[in-house]
Amino acid sequence: MMLNTLLELEDWPAVLKVNLVLSIFFLILTILFVGLVLYLRIQKNFKEAHRKKLESKFIDFTSIFLFDPSINKSSALAEFKFDNLKSSYDYKILIKQVLIFDENLKGESTALIKEIFDGMGLHRFLLKDLKRREWFNKARALFAFSKLGIAVPDHLIIPLLQSKRIELRQHAILYFLNTSKTDPLVFLDTLKGKLTLWQQVLIENSLKSFEVEIPDFSRWLNHKEDSIVVFCIKMILSFNQFQNIPFLIECLDHSSEDVRYQAIQVLQAMEVYEALQLMVAHFPEETAANKRSILYAISKIGTYKDLQTLVPHIHKEEVNLQIDFYKISGQFGEGVPVKKLLNIETISKDWEDFQEYSINSGIGA
Amino acid sequence: MQRILIIEDNPMVTRSLEFKLKKDGYEVVVAEDGRKAIKVLDEETFDLILTDLMLPFVTGTQIIEHIKNKYPKIPVIVLSTSTQEDIITDAFKMGVDDFITKPFSPSELSLRVKRTLSK
Repeated sequence: MMLNTLLELEDWPAVLKVNLVLSIFFLILTILFVGLVLYLRIQKNFKEAHRKKLESKFIDFTSIFLFDPSINKSSALAEFKFDNLKSSYDYKILIKQVLIFDENLKGESTALIKEIFDGMGLHRFLLKDLKRREWFNKARALFAFSKLGIAVPDHLIIPLLQSKRIELRQHAILYFLNTSKTDPLVFLDTLKGKLTLWQQVLIENSLKSFEVEIPDFSRWLNHKEDSIVVFCIKMILSFNQFQNIPFLIECLDHSSEDVRYQAIQVLQAMEVYEALQLMVAHFPEETAANKRSILYAISKIGTYKDLQTLVPHIHKEEVNLQIDFYKISGQFGEGVPVKKLLNIETISKDWEDFQEYSINSGIGA
Repeated sequence: MQRILIIEDNPMVTRSLEFKLKKDGYEVVVAEDGRKAIKVLDEETFDLILTDLMLPFVTGTQIIEHIKNKYPKIPVIVLSTSTQEDIITDAFKMGVDDFITKPFSPSELSLRVKRTLSK
């Protein structure tokens, strides 16, 4: 019967034969695909069950390790490691658990958790991760080391500050902030490239929330990277480092517009009247944004006379500066007819007249 | 033996606390969420309750209210990650006996439990 069917198949038209072959092919493909999905699902379930079992064993082990002084710690560690740590997945599970323990417990438990971390070989495992090529392995290792406050050789971390991956750069910064209690910003010395605004916020928040010694920010005011200098100027204000005011005044001569701008802002906020003379002297050569900044610095810490000295240096076409000038004049209440002069149609013409009046009355320049 | 109810959803915290407190000589019962906690409270008696504030189904605050209404004599210690002043103040206003913030020192917690139970 079967033979007959096969013989009959030979008589079938080619189209039907191709159709049959393709049907069988796709049927096999579907069965293989469904099989693969089922296999992956079962494997995932096994992995999940293994994870839960290992986590549970580890929690029990750690509880005994932390709270039972009668156990032989080194042999217990070795035994647990020998019985349970078979694959890199097992190591990853334990690293996560150690981090959870560290996050929840403090005091005498912290040192014991670190003992487990070392004794189980998790430290060595993460050091290997740090040397691997994949960025996510490095990031995981950095995260764990920084969370646990464990220092590793600097030469392994410093290159990561220059990484193309932003996640790695952030983790490297956090690592230094977490592990170095005396010099948390040491990485700024070697940092190349821009310190982004997000990184600046991250560092400032970390400095405020971590128990670290706040560094003297004048150390980086001569850094090659302008964004680092700008950040340090902001931090001098944020951490009230008044002893650094002379260095801030020097920053008014910096070649970068951004640095000078930040210095003006901070000197104004710190109410350093002595810096105004230099700001006023630099006014003619300054950029429009910095000129505006100087005008507002005068409004906060200067006098109307200081403001008047700038009149010859605000040009006819600098309408925005003229508007700022009038607004600030109004704040001093020196009888300048601000409302009248602020007419946008006639502002340039009026400015020339105002300049002439100021110079003739001997106030300006 | 004095009985302590731990209401906490983090298995790491519950298991280590359970071990520590048992080692200190207490009988410990664990409830992983608010619903279980209320059920256990209605069925059994306890000398002290140790509770988290962030819990599944029924919050720690609701549990504290329930305890203070139904079992006002049972002392309550809150174990929470929250360090916000208003949350701590609110907890004390509700009548909790102590507030411990995470991360916590197990030996310090043990002493506080002992002190609260001896009051």
